Parts: sequence; C-alpha cells; structure tokens
Amino acid sequence: MQSVLEEARKHEAKKVKEVSLVVGNLTFLGLEQVRFAYEILTKDTIMEGSNLLIKESEGIVKCNSCGYEGDFKYEDNPQYHLPMPTLHCPKCGGVVKIVGGKECIIESVKLVIK
Amino acid sequence: MPAAPRLKDVVRAEEGEIYDIELSTDLLKANQLLAEENKQFLHEYGVKAIDVMGSIGSGKTSLIEKLVELLKNHYGIAVFKGDLTTTIDAELIARHGVQVVAINTGKECHLDANLVGKALKKLDMSKIQLLFIENVGNLICPAEFSLGSDKRVVVISVTEGPYMVVKHPFIFMDADVVVVNKIDLAQAMGVDVKQLEKDAKTVNPKARVVATNCRSGEGVEKAAEALGLLQLRG
Repeated sequence: MQSVLEEARKHEAKKVKEVSLVVGNLTFLGLEQVRFAYEILTKDTIMEGSNLLIKESEGIVKCNSCGYEGDFKYEDNPQYHLPMPTLHCPKCGGVVKIVGGKECIIESVKLVIK
Repeated sequence: MPAAPRLKDVVRAEEGEIYDIELSTDLLKANQLLAEENKQFLHEYGVKAIDVMGSIGSGKTSLIEKLVELLKNHYGIAVFKGDLTTTIDAELIARHGVQVVAINTGKECHLDANLVGKALKKLDMSKIQLLFIENVGNLICPAEFSLGSDKRVVVISVTEGPYMVVKHPFIFMDADVVVVNKIDLAQAMGVDVKQLEKDAKTVNPKARVVATNCRSGEGVEKAAEALGLLQLRG
C-alpha cells in the first residue's frame, strides 16, 4: 500500500482505480487473505474500492547439469494428499535450483489523475 | 493533434483521466536486501552464521546447547534466540557461558533480517566466530525470510509424526542440513526415522540429513560435521 500511495502522490492522483499484483506460488501468501487484508487496509484511503488483480506466477526450477528450466519434479505418493515437489531435475535427475515463484510484485497501478 | 505525452512526462493530466503506471516493485525484496547487509557485516568480522529453523518443540534449543558444548572451546560463540515472548530458552543457553541475545518477536511467527540486524548491534563482534540464530518454532513462515546466515538447518523430531517433511516441503528446500531429532523415541511413536530421512532427501537432494538425540548428544557431532564446523575448528 505504501508503494501504491507513494506512486499516487507522485502523480497527484485523486483515486487509485486498480492494482495489479504478481504473487509467486512459492511464497506463503494466501490470496484470499491478501484480498481480505487489502479491502480492510484500503478503507478511508484513495485506494478504497479499487480493483485488486492478482496473477499467480508458477514456481520455476533450473538444472545446472542439463539446462532444464520449468516446473518441479513431483513425487506422487498416493498416500499423500498432494504430490510433493522436489529439487530433483525431471529430465536428468540432477539437482535443481529455484529461480522463480518466490516474488511478490506490484506490476502496475491504474490511477485517476486530478 | 499533438502526440500523446509519454507516461513519465505527465505532469498535469486532464480531469478524471486514468493512467496506467508500470511499477514492478518487489515487495519481498526489502528483507532480501537487509539479509545481504547482515551477511556482509558478519563476513567482515569473519563470523559464520547458522539459522536454526524447525517445528515447535522439535529440539532446536537442545541442539544448539549441545553444539555449544561441543564447540565452545574452539570458537567464540553467540546465540540469537527467537521467541514470541519470554527469555526462558535464552537463559538455558546462556548457562553455557556464551553471548546470548533474546529476540522477542511479540506476535510474529518468524525472525526477519531487520530483527537480526538489530540484534547484531548488541554483540561484541570481536569475540565471536560462530553465531547460531534460533528462529521461532515454525515450519512455514521462516522459509520466506532469509536472515543473512551461511547455512540453514531445519530440525524436526519423531514426536511430530511421520509426515513433517511431506507436509512442509518448501522449508526443507532451503535447508543445508536437516536434523531428525528424538530418535530414541521413534519406536514408542511408531515413526520410521529412515522414512523421514528419505523424505528429506527426496525433497532436497543437496541437504545433509542427520539423526540425533539431543538429550544424550547422540548424532550431535555428525550434525556439527554436516554444518562444516568440525573442519574449521582445528
């Protein structure tokens, strides 16, 4: 909110119309909670009633051995409720590094200028 | 009609007009930057820092106490003890004659780089080479906040049941060492230590996995070795 309001001040905006967020799905942000908090926190500010768009970005891993870049390899044990993501490369079995999905970015804002 | 002004040049726009502004502000970057500062500060003084994360009651404090006992004649050691409130654990560790700073987060479920930075100011840096940072007991939030440590340990214990790893895979991805504690109780709990070790290895093939009993001290030396602390002390 601070970043958005700061930007609004810079542009002498009278209202914030829309905020676009990108939330990596490897963050521990619950989108429902983010929306709920947004509604409450923006009350009585020029952000009140603005539209909050949230795009989720996927977790991306990269393999140093074979160059694979993409989704995790999942361990699918039927005993578990969800397949478990692992740091094994789905292509060559090497060890991968997480390169995406840990971000939370304000992509853009729509402002109503005076 | 004149060309539309570029976004950044706008000073005064017309009444009620809507402007789209690209921001690309990463909201989690702030902690990342502070963590880098902490890391640099620690490296300037040649201090190795270890972030000890893990579930509530898994034995983080006991592990640190045992490691302190094992290593205190070889390193100047300091410990940051994160807890919501009270200095009970901090006092337990202080008995071993090392510098301890209690970090009480109040209500926060994890330490962040800012709190660690503040605690660093309270240390006599010239006297230490090794710093343990005990995080708040939690297998979820601490994974999101790097503190500037060199290594991260995740401690779990068999008394939490057989599914601690599969239920919280992400924190294990951040770990350099995974400690499975209270192995003396495995049989009573009906928990297979080998399976827990295997799960940790599956999620994070780079992590060293060590089984311990931090009451008796079993496995603690192995944990120290996995953290690279035995090689350094000579």
